[in-house]
Parts: sequence; structure tokens; C-alpha cells
Amino acid sequence: MDNTTKKIAAVVGAILFLLVCISSLFILLPRKAGTSYTAELYLQGTLVDSIDLNAVTEIQTIELSADGHTNVVEIRPGSIGIISADCPDQICVHQGFISDSALPITCLPHGVIIRVRPTEEGELILTY
Amino acid sequence: MSTRKLTALALFTTISLAVYAIECAIPPLVPIPGIKPGLANIITLILLKRYSSKEAALVLTARILLSALLFGQAVSLFYSVCGGLVSLLIMILFNRLLKKHCLFLTGSLGGLFHNLAQLLAAMLITSSMAVLAYLPHLVIAGILTGLFTGFCAMYAAKFLPKDLHA
Repeated sequence: MDNTTKKIAAVVGAILFLLVCISSLFILLPRKAGTSYTAELYLQGTLVDSIDLNAVTEIQTIELSADGHTNVVEIRPGSIGIISADCPDQICVHQGFISDSALPITCLPHGVIIRVRPTEEGELILTY
Repeated sequence: MSTRKLTALALFTTISLAVYAIECAIPPLVPIPGIKPGLANIITLILLKRYSSKEAALVLTARILLSALLFGQAVSLFYSVCGGLVSLLIMILFNRLLKKHCLFLTGSLGGLFHNLAQLLAAMLITSSMAVLAYLPHLVIAGILTGLFTGFCAMYAAKFLPKDLHA
């Protein structure tokens, strides 16, 4: 192993290490917290439904269907999740229920994304 | 291509397909789409070290097409092709730069770019930026799993017979 190779290896190693550190910071940094959260349901990039999770009082289910695929979404007071899907990997079901904006729920084979966001301050003022 | 080499490459394809099948049977470790061990990459790395880019590309292409035929569906083929080809190109480039040394670094870069390419593919398919929330998780997972497969390939390559280059 000559000197140039060693240098390239050291630089690549250092960059990879830095990337891991920066990514860890992003995961560990506190997120913007809100007092109320809104869930947004996207199907292939278009917003199909928006639900104020704090306004939910009873458990309800929604079926998202497109191209013969179905994801069953359950909405509980304060949280949302996918309870069944006819995709092969079932990752969206394993992601469980989410109640804050940390990570969205995704079903990649069907192009379904559910994300939760703090309800905008502006919207709150409008409701007063 | 000699019969000897053809047979060896066919054998490597079979091994990587078997490794892939075993990996598919392991339940997802974390509930984030796209995070998996990527064990089949061990074979690609061994080929990069012991043969050349051409053989690695051949075996990888055969493995992706066969695995889609055997276990997959159309959408997963798109993700596999994106991730597989981008990571292969990056690994070929750095394998040259590193002169086949430090296979674990090549593996890490391969894992990293595999995940980045799949995230880009996911953004295209869902036409949404929301999946970007997974970026930090995918970067860490790609580098660490790549490091692991890289070390596996490095040690496994030592046990292969020396006269493979027929």
C-alpha cells in the first residue's frame, strides 16, 4: 500500500466518520414541539386527507386504495398508524403509530406517506 | 470467457442469490424502509477484489434480475436497480483509487450510495420530499452495514483459492 493510497483511505474514512457524526446530530437534535398535531395523508405525492389529531375522539379507520393496492389507516386520539396493507414487506405496519413529527410512516410499494406536523400557529388563531 | 471462469461466476451468482434469499427471510431490524444488512454486497466486494469491475457488474446484474424474478415485484426491481447500479459505480471508482486495499471503505461507500440512490428513487416514486426525514438514518445505516459487509468480504476473500483468475 503506497502513500497516495493511504492518504485517499484516510480522507475517505474521515469523511465517512464525519457523515455518521452529522447524521447522529440530526437524529438527536430536539424537534419543534407543538401543542396540537395534524396528520397529512399523501397518496403518490398528492395530499388526500388532513386530520387534526387532537380533534379525534373515537378510533376510526380509513382505506387508502390506488392501483388495486390498499392500506388501512387507523386514527386514534392523538396518533395515527397503518394497521394492515397488502404490500409484501409490511414495513408500514411495523412502523406502528406515530404522534409527533419525528418520522413519517411510508409504504414505498404503494407510494403512501403519512406525516404528522405541529398544527400551524396561524391556523390556531383562525379558529379563535 | 473461459468455461472455468463462467462456472466460477455462475457459482458466485448462486451464492449471492442464496445470501439474498436468507436476508429476505430476516424480519426488518428497524421499522424504517430501506434499512437492511445488504449481505449480498459481500459477493460483489469479493468479486471486485479478486476479479475486476466487469465480473462484479455481471454477477450483480444477474443477481438483481433473478431476485426480482424469484422474490420481488416491479417496484422493488426499480429500487434494486437504482441502488445497485449507483453503489456499484461508486465501489468500482473507489476500488480503483484504493488499489483494492481497504475493502471495508469501499463497502461503506457502496452502502452509503446504495441508500442515497434508493432515497432519491423513493422521492421520485412518491413525488414527495417527506421521505427526506429518513436521510440521517439511512446515511448511518448505509455506512455501518457497508463497513460490516466490507469486513466480511475482506476476510472471506482470504480463504478463496489463489488461482481464481482463470
